[in-house]
Amino acid sequence: MKEINPDYKNHSKIRLALSSKNLRELWIKIGFIVGVMIIWEVIARFGRVSSTLFPPISTIGIALWDNIITGEILEHLLYSLYLIFIGIGIGIVLTFILTVLYMIYKPFANILDIVISIMHPLPGIALLPIIMLIVGLGAKAIVIVIIQSVIWPVMVNSIAGFRSIPITQVELGRNIGMSELRLVCSVMIPNAFPHIFAGLKIAWSRSWRALIGAEMIFGATGLVGGLGWYIYKKRYFLEIPDVFAGLLVIVAIGIIVEEVVMKQIEKRTIVKWGVTV
Amino acid sequence: MRKVLEVEGLNKSFRMNKKNIHVLNNISLSLIKRDFLTVLGPSGCGKSTLIRCICCFEKIDGGVIKVDGMLVTRPGPDRLMVFQEFNQLFHWKTVWENIIYPLNLNHRNKTKKEREEIASKFLEMVNLKDFKNAYPRQLSGGMCQRVAIARALAIGPKILLMDEPFGALDAQTRSILQKELMDIWNKTDITIIFITHNIQESILLGNKIMVLSRIPAAIKVLVDNTIPFPRMPETPEFMDLWKELYSTLDVKRF
Repeated sequence: MKEINPDYKNHSKIRLALSSKNLRELWIKIGFIVGVMIIWEVIARFGRVSSTLFPPISTIGIALWDNIITGEILEHLLYSLYLIFIGIGIGIVLTFILTVLYMIYKPFANILDIVISIMHPLPGIALLPIIMLIVGLGAKAIVIVIIQSVIWPVMVNSIAGFRSIPITQVELGRNIGMSELRLVCSVMIPNAFPHIFAGLKIAWSRSWRALIGAEMIFGATGLVGGLGWYIYKKRYFLEIPDVFAGLLVIVAIGIIVEEVVMKQIEKRTIVKWGVTV
Repeated sequence: MRKVLEVEGLNKSFRMNKKNIHVLNNISLSLIKRDFLTVLGPSGCGKSTLIRCICCFEKIDGGVIKVDGMLVTRPGPDRLMVFQEFNQLFHWKTVWENIIYPLNLNHRNKTKKEREEIASKFLEMVNLKDFKNAYPRQLSGGMCQRVAIARALAIGPKILLMDEPFGALDAQTRSILQKELMDIWNKTDITIIFITHNIQESILLGNKIMVLSRIPAAIKVLVDNTIPFPRMPETPEFMDLWKELYSTLDVKRF
């Protein structure tokens, strides 16, 4: 007496078909990038442009390689990543606390609604002068800018996610004897996860932008600086291929996080559970 | 016989559009071990509200609810609900994890092996052994309801409350699940309250059948169903009971 669900039996086949489709999409993407690089090279070499301001992609490649070999660019990259991880980490913890309070206390929610509508559209960079006056120049200020870019999008999305939880799921959790904290962690967060994750994706791109921007305004903090500072410094010495190399690294990190890290998380959660926002 | 469930003078009203709507009017009933109570009543009469009150999902306005002689005021695993909705499973857990997770929460004194044995037993009872590692999205509606039933039974409640669990299923799957539920009921000594608006289903399953009136709902009739198993809808006694229930149900004729 078993119903056979065709989707279940053919699951592996479907996955196989998907992966070959993904492969074709990947080739299209790579082809596009290679095409852009060739056009760039041709324009830089044969077009009427200054090779100082618009160096050929091959020159940029060599500059990038040299900078990797000497470890200079990696040092800056690691510093940037270090700052962003601290910022995002603190941001997520704060968001969690604020969101839980928001869901529990109605008056707090009303106040926070106003705060969100003020802070959410505000670019972190715009706050930098004030932050600098309060905490001074340095890593602290950059981290605060990152936190500001993380909290609001994640919070707005998390609240939407929590509000969309079916009442059945919450009642079920209470019914099987969960404590309130366990209910939040084991029922509400997984239910709201697709929304929370969408917020995290926005938070990542916003904070990455804010970080690079803040580093450029700031310069180095102490002895080390991030990628933004690296670009700023290279421009100062008119080492334009190095400036482009720095930009390439920023783009590369963006692509890796979007296409590899985020896609993998998505595949292991939302896609596997079959839920969409 | 000791009473598993006692409801005395249960009253419940809702506030809707600034008006008080009296839904349950002085409901009293008691069930003993292995009772299978089916509840019939016109649409919107408060059938679901009744078992939601027993589950303590709703605050009651008056009356007492006792399980094994103890007053209950909060939801708990001694009264487990099987909902009508298919989304009552945790979609981020497999069938197996859905069953074993509440077991781990509620039976900490048992060893891991014992808990796994219980989970396998009930998974087998609902015929889903082959779908152990499937995710809810890969299951049909009927299978989801089976997992929900297995999960509830595995925890070992005193009372199983079923809110039209087969209401959203096709007729064929529904009759298969009715039979499976009867088998399970025969194998365990659980007390069940089963909401339905299908008269035939109520006679097939219940050893007690209750009909509620329109709101404010009171108990119209509470009959003992003594038709021997296997119950066939074609037999005269079945048809007589059907007619009796139909007339008390106050269905408007075309």
